[in-house]
Amino acid sequence: MSAVEPRPIVIAPSSGWRSIDLREVWEYRELLFILVWRDIKVRYRQTLLGVLWVVAQPLLTAVIFTVLFNRVAKIDAGGGVPYSLFVMVALVPWSFFAAGVSASGNSLIGSSHLISKVYFPRVIVPAASVLSGFVDMAVTLALVIVMSLVYRAGVPPQVIFLPVAILICALFAFGIGMWLSALNVEYRDIRVIIPFLLQLWMYATPVVYPLRVVPEKYRWVALINPMTGIVETFRAAMLGGAIPWPQLGYSVAVMAVVLVSGAFYFRRMERLFADVL
Amino acid sequence: MTRAIEAGHLAKKYVIGGVKEANYRTLRDSIAGFVRRRGASPRRETIWALRDVSFTVERGEVMGIIGRNGAGKSTLLKILSRITEPTSGMARLYGRSGSLLEVGTGFHPELSGRENIFLNGAILGMRRAEIARKLDEIVAFAEIGQFLDTPVKRYSSGMYVRLAFAVAAHLETEILIVDEVLAVGDASFQRKCLNKMEDVGHHGRTILFVSHNLASITRLCPRAMLIDAGRVVRDGPAHEVVRFYLHSDLGTTAARQWLDDAEAPGDEVARLRAVRVRSDGEVAAKIDIHRGVDIELEWEALEPGHVLVPNLHFQNEEGLVVFVSSDLDPEWRRREREPGRYVSTAHIPGNFLAEGTLVVSAAVSTMDPVRVHFYERDAVAFEVVDVLGAETARGDYGAPIPGVVRPLLPWTNEFIPAAAPVTRSQR
Repeated sequence: MSAVEPRPIVIAPSSGWRSIDLREVWEYRELLFILVWRDIKVRYRQTLLGVLWVVAQPLLTAVIFTVLFNRVAKIDAGGGVPYSLFVMVALVPWSFFAAGVSASGNSLIGSSHLISKVYFPRVIVPAASVLSGFVDMAVTLALVIVMSLVYRAGVPPQVIFLPVAILICALFAFGIGMWLSALNVEYRDIRVIIPFLLQLWMYATPVVYPLRVVPEKYRWVALINPMTGIVETFRAAMLGGAIPWPQLGYSVAVMAVVLVSGAFYFRRMERLFADVL
Repeated sequence: MTRAIEAGHLAKKYVIGGVKEANYRTLRDSIAGFVRRRGASPRRETIWALRDVSFTVERGEVMGIIGRNGAGKSTLLKILSRITEPTSGMARLYGRSGSLLEVGTGFHPELSGRENIFLNGAILGMRRAEIARKLDEIVAFAEIGQFLDTPVKRYSSGMYVRLAFAVAAHLETEILIVDEVLAVGDASFQRKCLNKMEDVGHHGRTILFVSHNLASITRLCPRAMLIDAGRVVRDGPAHEVVRFYLHSDLGTTAARQWLDDAEAPGDEVARLRAVRVRSDGEVAAKIDIHRGVDIELEWEALEPGHVLVPNLHFQNEEGLVVFVSSDLDPEWRRREREPGRYVSTAHIPGNFLAEGTLVVSAAVSTMDPVRVHFYERDAVAFEVVDVLGAETARGDYGAPIPGVVRPLLPWTNEFIPAAAPVTRSQR
């Protein structure tokens, strides 16, 4: 008998509210990375245009928005910023957020074959979905930088705050992803609600319009929306202007609440996943 | 000796049925249910898949788990694999554990063989470095050679299965939990996997092994545990437990009857009364492969004026429908049945079915238009047992024979001497 008895794995019914076991997630980090790698690899291998699509998608979206909101609806970016660049910058966090929420929200159902056959901390599944969106975001960000160099004199010094904004955005998407994916296992109509919710949310966020054109009496909608602070921070970091610290602070607070409550809710529902899926 | 697994009073309850057949709900249902208040509460049935299962396994022990379908074997493995939680009770695993409840879990058709080895290995709980170290060995074992960098969607099904097995066979945890995975793949490759597992078993590794293949249980496992209706019925030396299992009726339910009108399956036209499996006139759960078997369906016609056709559906233990047979008795063909009791019997000749368990579902229908009056799923089951010494399709071959049926066919040979210049087919 060995001198040091390893800690046994204890299998027993769980009860009450517990958070995600971060130590265990760390032990399974290789699985997390390989799932992210698989998602990315498969996504670009399966589509006909592959990487080209990653570039075309944000560009086409920006073109459509420019025609619709700038040319037709006459919304102006202000401050001498071309509207196409203005909307493209906002699409970096917004598309990343929307893709992360929708992919992680549906992730558990999509991975039911894994969940019913192998054990691993389930939270890896929505986490991988959010992380695999980083590639698309990086490409869009690179496009924005190219556009900034073409239209303007490059990026302002505030750009150093960009990584912070990206992190907040990712964690917020992950927090919502934990909530939605766990809810989705029990209530299958969540799947139908997600795209609708995201579309509504985009128009409530200053993505296609600047915050200043919002009439005073509707301003509160933009201000209680935690994505406003994130999108505005991206704009400030890429186009110049003051980082909206109070709004960003509010976004961080909401993000933290969603993230922590999501972790607890996910953990509580986790034990049911294999039985329900 | 050192403990590897300790399980105490494990129990697992499943709730089935409810508003919908599926386990999940929709918000709509929940809201609708809330509005309706608790008026007509949906009928929810609870099933205890496991009740009070306790056992211990020492380090280095290889234990087989047997029992009929639905006995609770898979639930036990899922609990020990931490895929699902027990409702009560607890278990302790001492050491790193790995589960093979399926081979090729997470395989992606678009990825290459090499990529899938890393993906599948990581899913099974192997470290990247460990997989990299064993890569050559896995590739050699799978015999996929030059196709290593080809997407697995281009693999033949044989190659795909071999690759999946190869990764699984190299999972070297201290505790290994294996479900029925050896049921696929060709015979020689199965043997190779068994040997590999056996090898590892001798290195102080603890293995729990569920299989329907009683021969591989006795070969691989010194110890076996028999589970029925969620309880441990027998635990001891494998050959003893297997013998006990074979001589009990646990593997099958050869006869069932419904005495209570309310519980008997059926509608206002026809009602099921009993289903029985008989061999030589006796109700029997074990049938020698070379003997015929009669399936007897006792039912009632309740309303005059219907042409009623009893029919039987046979499924093997993998859930594959082996065949369906309808009553074509000329005496009752296209003839209306007068109300009363009928016993309809189908005879299956000997030397036709393959060995293994067959599950019989029984129905009575009306044709044109088709209407099913009752369909009793999994009404009875019996086991076809291969016997040595009798004249069967096995001939002189000793190893497991694949196939869903095993008919004894008449063969003929024509000898064509080498000197003959023209063969028949050329004419």
